[in-house]
Amino acid sequence: MITTIKETDERFIATLSGELDTAAAQETEVALQPLLDSKGKEIVLDCTDLEYISSSGLRVLLSILKQAKSVGSRVVLKNVNDVIRDVLDISGFISIFDVE
Amino acid sequence: MTMASFKNGWMSRVGIVVLAAAMVELISIVQYERVRKIMQEEMRYRGRVTLARLSDEISHALELAETTMRENLYYVKKSMAHPDSVNAAMIHLIDGNSHVEGGCLAFIPYYYPSKGRLFEPYATKNKDGTYEVQQIAGPDHDYTQNGEYIWVMDHDEPSWTDPYKYGPDSVSFTTYSYPIKDASGKIIAICGLDVNLSWLGNTLNAHQPYPSSFCIVLTPAGDLVAGPSEDQISAQVVQEVVSFANGDIAQSDLPGLSMLKTALHKEPYWQLVQVFNNDEAFARIQKQRRQQVIYVILCMAILGFVINRYTKNERNLLKATEEQARISGELAVASNIQKEMLPKEFPSYVYGTLEPAREVGGDIFDFYARDGKLFFCIGDVSGKGVPAALLMSMTHSLFHIVTRKVDSPAHILYALNSELCRGNEANMFMTYFVGCLDLYSGELSYASAGHDRPFILTKGISMLEAKSNLPLGVFPDTSFVEQSCVLEPGTTILLYTDGLTEAKNVARQEFGRSGIKATLEHFLSGSDQTLGSLVTSLSDAAHAFAGEAPQSDDLTLLAVRFDPENQIRDSILLKNQKSEVTRLSSFVKEFFAKLNIDHRLASGIRLALEEAVVNVIDYAYPYEEEGTVSIQADSNGKEVRFTITDSGVPFDPTAMLEPDTTLDAQNRPIGGLGILLSRRLMDSIYYSRKNGKNVLSLTKTIL
Repeated sequence: MITTIKETDERFIATLSGELDTAAAQETEVALQPLLDSKGKEIVLDCTDLEYISSSGLRVLLSILKQAKSVGSRVVLKNVNDVIRDVLDISGFISIFDVE
Repeated sequence: MTMASFKNGWMSRVGIVVLAAAMVELISIVQYERVRKIMQEEMRYRGRVTLARLSDEISHALELAETTMRENLYYVKKSMAHPDSVNAAMIHLIDGNSHVEGGCLAFIPYYYPSKGRLFEPYATKNKDGTYEVQQIAGPDHDYTQNGEYIWVMDHDEPSWTDPYKYGPDSVSFTTYSYPIKDASGKIIAICGLDVNLSWLGNTLNAHQPYPSSFCIVLTPAGDLVAGPSEDQISAQVVQEVVSFANGDIAQSDLPGLSMLKTALHKEPYWQLVQVFNNDEAFARIQKQRRQQVIYVILCMAILGFVINRYTKNERNLLKATEEQARISGELAVASNIQKEMLPKEFPSYVYGTLEPAREVGGDIFDFYARDGKLFFCIGDVSGKGVPAALLMSMTHSLFHIVTRKVDSPAHILYALNSELCRGNEANMFMTYFVGCLDLYSGELSYASAGHDRPFILTKGISMLEAKSNLPLGVFPDTSFVEQSCVLEPGTTILLYTDGLTEAKNVARQEFGRSGIKATLEHFLSGSDQTLGSLVTSLSDAAHAFAGEAPQSDDLTLLAVRFDPENQIRDSILLKNQKSEVTRLSSFVKEFFAKLNIDHRLASGIRLALEEAVVNVIDYAYPYEEEGTVSIQADSNGKEVRFTITDSGVPFDPTAMLEPDTTLDAQNRPIGGLGILLSRRLMDSIYYSRKNGKNVLSLTKTIL
């Protein structure tokens, strides 16, 4: 699991690549720590290379979302593949994230 | 039966009775008329006979008077020589004839100059038997003016007078007047004989053919000469008859009277009239006719009753037939429903048949596969027909409901038994066998409720070691012993009901286990080893054995085979640590690599498995003790099944509540998503606690 975060004036762009399974959740959570302080900027999660996500991964995304919502920001999931979309569908996350 | 048809039936029955009555009545009338005619002829005949006899008698009596006259003529003539001797001659004249009461001799005027112009001595009989002679001519009795005297003088021949009444008793008389001539042929006197006619009435009506028939005598002019006495027939009736006979009235006012007439052939040419009362003459046949009417009414009543009973029976029969047809129809429907209950499509590893002895039966076989396990059962309700079928239907539903949630055959039997014992007033029971075959491992668990032990076919033939428990429906709290074994690949289990073992031939011999065994041996040596062929060969053998003998019981066969060909199996043992998920992922990927499976589907299955395993790691070991989680992966190319086994505390993830996926971000709980994903991504998740272990199996169709 590889994560990179880029910060611009308007937004945070985090690139997630690999498999965000239970084993990778903890390190990913740590890696995405900066996003928990988004300072009101939009957060874009680029999922182009994200192949797999488990409920632990969803939990990481949810904590980012909750923080962003609390400061009036939003979280955009970009380029979500079918596998990830299925999981978002089932979990209902598709309606609380901005999925593009 | 509708009201209209009932009414029609009723009317037609009445119609038949009325028609029959009319026909009988018609015959009766014709016969009556014929008999009446015969009797009328008979009556006329008898009447004619009576008349002939009477006519003879009267003629005879009158002739007797004429003879008396002739015999005494000489003596009378001789006495006339002197007037004083005439008296003795007259007495002599009347003495010889009992009917003659008096006799007179009326001389022509001045015959005896000494006696004056008129002279008529008249002799009469006294009651004491003496005679008296009087000279009765005088100024007040001038006989020459008498019509009779004149007539005889004129005609010069004897004459009978019309009858007349005379004397204090008003007795009827008639007088025979005879001209007496001298030697020159000149009439010198007319001799009269008074003949008492009182005997005539008695004679006439002494021998009548019928009690109230009577006869009267009339003069040619129609005056009554003699008739029945007043106490016999009233004068009024007699007068009526006289009038009618004389043609004075066209029609008699006395209905039912018929009469016959005849007349004497010579002087005085009296008419004899025989009168009958038709009513009396025909009284007997009329009485008979009245009786006949009563008989006819009686017979018709009986006929009506018989017809009524007959049609009622007919109607009942019709009703029974309709009822039979209705029941047959319903049975046919029931039979179809029951057939529909049975499995119709068979995968290669199971096959069964059921041939009911009647329209509906009490046998059952069924199977149901889930989570890579085949649940199969066979049962036989005590008795046959509808009651057995009802119980059979009940167990059919129960089997499907219970096996959805329960793995253990003993528990399945327990559940079925509890239900069947509820309100089992008819005390029906059922032998039953349930098996659960793991289609991947060959693990077979089973329990028998008093059912025949199944056969096991490997290379040889043996019988499954099965403990026989009580049948279902006997006691509600029966516990059932469950047994298990592991089948070698290719092993076949053959289940049957007693319709097979107890199939009888005409000599009442049973097919028996020996028959089954022989057939199985023959099957094993054959080339077609499919289960369909096995079942068919057994059924055929049983029928061939029974021959002409009717099938006495339902015949049910079920064959199950453990056939793990084309199966892929793999397993891994993980520690109860989340880092092991990486190993799990590799394991799953390798397993899927052996299957032709879509990536998206594979990812879903992998996620479901990962979530389930993480759940076990999270909850089954709450004290963070070291433990293991074993994963068994199975696939037959059509589905995959993962079995997760751990020895942690009992934990059923399927019992956890699902999170609400419609809540917004702020209110979303962090946990609970794992089991939701597992459930949604797999076809089924089944938890059981077995031998102190949690066993969770996840199944998904991949084709």
